[in-house]
Amino acid sequence: MANTHHEDREPSGLAKFLASDTFKGLLPFIGLIIILVAMNYLTEGKIFQPKRVRLLLSQVYYPMIVATGVFFIMTLGSIDFTEGSTLGVASIVVSMLSFYSIPLAILGGILTGAAIGAINGFFHVKFKLQSFIVTICTMYLFRGVCAYLTTETAIPASAAIKALDSDNLKIAITVAVLVIAWFLFRFTRIGNDIKAVGSGETAARFSGVKTDKVKFLVFVAAGALTGLAAFVNVIKVGSITATAGNQLETQILISLVLGGLPITGGAKVRFSNIVVGTLMYTVLNNGLVMMGFESATQQLIKGIVFLIFVALTIDRKALKVIK
Amino acid sequence: MSENILLKAEHIDKRFGITHAVNDVSININHGEIRALIGENGSGKSTFCQMLCGIYSIGGGTFTLDGQVMHVRNQVEANNLGVSIIVQEMGTLSGLSVAENIFLGHEEPFMHHGIKDTGAMNREAQKLLDSYGFGSIKAGNMIDNYNFEDRKLVEIVKATYMKPKILIVDETTTALSQNGRLELYKIMDAVRADGRSVIFISHDLAEILSHCDTISILRDGEYIDTVNAKDVNEDDLKRLMVGREIGSAYYRTDYGKPISEEVVLSVKNVTVPGQIQDVNFELHRGEILGFGGLSECGMHEIGKAVFGASWDRSGSVTLADGTEINSIPQAIKKSIAYASKDRDNESIILNESIRNNIVLPSLDDLANKHLLNGWKLSRFAQEFADKMQTKMQGIHQFVSDLSGGNKQKVVLARWLGKGSDILVLDSPTRGIDVKVKQAIYALMSELSAQGKSIIMISEEIPELLGMSDRILIMKDGKINGEFMRSESLNEEDLIAKMV
Repeated sequence: MANTHHEDREPSGLAKFLASDTFKGLLPFIGLIIILVAMNYLTEGKIFQPKRVRLLLSQVYYPMIVATGVFFIMTLGSIDFTEGSTLGVASIVVSMLSFYSIPLAILGGILTGAAIGAINGFFHVKFKLQSFIVTICTMYLFRGVCAYLTTETAIPASAAIKALDSDNLKIAITVAVLVIAWFLFRFTRIGNDIKAVGSGETAARFSGVKTDKVKFLVFVAAGALTGLAAFVNVIKVGSITATAGNQLETQILISLVLGGLPITGGAKVRFSNIVVGTLMYTVLNNGLVMMGFESATQQLIKGIVFLIFVALTIDRKALKVIK
Repeated sequence: MSENILLKAEHIDKRFGITHAVNDVSININHGEIRALIGENGSGKSTFCQMLCGIYSIGGGTFTLDGQVMHVRNQVEANNLGVSIIVQEMGTLSGLSVAENIFLGHEEPFMHHGIKDTGAMNREAQKLLDSYGFGSIKAGNMIDNYNFEDRKLVEIVKATYMKPKILIVDETTTALSQNGRLELYKIMDAVRADGRSVIFISHDLAEILSHCDTISILRDGEYIDTVNAKDVNEDDLKRLMVGREIGSAYYRTDYGKPISEEVVLSVKNVTVPGQIQDVNFELHRGEILGFGGLSECGMHEIGKAVFGASWDRSGSVTLADGTEINSIPQAIKKSIAYASKDRDNESIILNESIRNNIVLPSLDDLANKHLLNGWKLSRFAQEFADKMQTKMQGIHQFVSDLSGGNKQKVVLARWLGKGSDILVLDSPTRGIDVKVKQAIYALMSELSAQGKSIIMISEEIPELLGMSDRILIMKDGKINGEFMRSESLNEEDLIAKMV
């Protein structure tokens, strides 16, 4: 009568450890160390020269902010493909407003992101459409908006906003986002509710969780964070073209999975997934560039690494269609 | 004696992680025998059978069928050797026709050069269905056109048409109506008359005593004993299953306790389209109010309606203080608890820890200025899991690893923790063994004595008679009869109002 679905064979010490949640929890850290060591070796240490490290970190900030929002969406067991186009549209808004006032630009970026998140959340929750479907549609929609606004020429940002480009500011924003998100996730009801929805939506609803409201809010918050990331992006790049944020959604998805986030979401997610995953992706990406691989080969290698990690970290017990 | 042995199971063993599900079990089954396998939830009886029919790999030991050691890797191979099973859950596949379901894995006779002769398959399947007396089921139709019971009948045909040497019936009867059961018993008798054998798993001891020849008892994965059905009674079996005397205090024994005048909840003109119609009743303080009826009578919706969980409900559910209950969060806040019949989907989050399941409805109470303290949550979960005597490795164990009875304990633990005053318990002992049942009944009595009110929705008439202060019987979505607790009340009285 035991309803367990554990491994069939008699567990020996090592096999048991490899199948355990402890090991799965450690896997991303082990992966990060392996990638760091491998990249150090393969690039003959070049990747960890101080100026390289700075460059590397400069590529971490805005993806990490975006990944924090997506982390919550994926904890719900949902998925979001709009980060790239949201970042593009929000960056345009930030750039345009930056000529009037910096705080207004920041606010505008956040509100733009939140509005797109609200559209996603509304269709996902009200019409009970899978987030997968909704966000693929809105991804194309806003990519189109982005392309339309930048057809004539790239959209420049004001000199004032470009003058803000400093590592300290970007680090401060990133750390603040992580700390606040971690705090909400770990110590508040809303964090708990998000996990509960991801683990079992119906049961969560019967336990008093306002599931629709939680899902909607998470999409809005994730959009807002992407909007904030757009500000960080603008101070770095200075002008926005049609390709702003291109492929960001896949980058974030791969990062989070590399970080050990089960794509089914739920109880087994760890906040560290965000940090570890984003770092791993960036180091891997930079290493591959420095080793001189063509972009096609880089994609191939990233694809293989991604597949291996999904296979290792996925929670087969909870496997079902992504919401 | 020994030449009469059909199946010899020797030192069968199975572990799941650290759970020793089946521990060195040896059983012999003779030709022409109906053998019951009984035990509490988690005693290993289903696991044992699923190893025999190739669903699980064998952890240790051997099965010898008709003198030949079995080496099966899957259910089809077991089928070919002569072992088939009718499972507890849905065992037919949606999207296939009735005939395709019956011949699943055995399509070869109908294949010509890789092309399936659907007509021949349907004709053959229809012949089989007719021979079982299930002619109303049409072989060419999609299986999805049939209800749960008809699909079970198709499964019975699928499992038995090849004349298996061993037929395993795993808690199938709970899914069947009286007629379906009679058909199944007939088939079991035919298997026996043919010199073949049946392994029968059920929680219904009366059914076992009247339809089986011999009974093997398992407890915590270990083999206890095999007895002849005619030498024992239900109490003997309970004692063997549990390992101690089950007292007579299984149900309540008090009669004549007056029901308080104080009304804690009143339900007025509640209608849920397609489920219940214009239902009115009042729940009193300290009362155990039973709801009974046939499975489609709408009684399960009563629980959802009271808990604010019904879609499209009209009418009102009002507490003594005048608050109307219209949503789940509000119901919980106003001290209403709900344990669903669909335990795994609606009552608990399977892929979550025991701790997080227990604290979930109480998070607002446990928070200090909106902040949660992990240590405090753990202490809370531990306290109520212990109070319910949940059998677990620890509060961080996932609920999906627990047996049905222990899952229900987690459900009750969370509402005990919440301190709810009104408990709506839908089928509280469904699929739960005697020992846990007894604990749940004791808890209900205790809660009622504390002045808490309970709505108990139940498909089991003895449970309604044994536990309720008052019983409302439903039929076609309406309340069709009311009975007060009394020693003279019997099953027939209730059934008369149900049908």
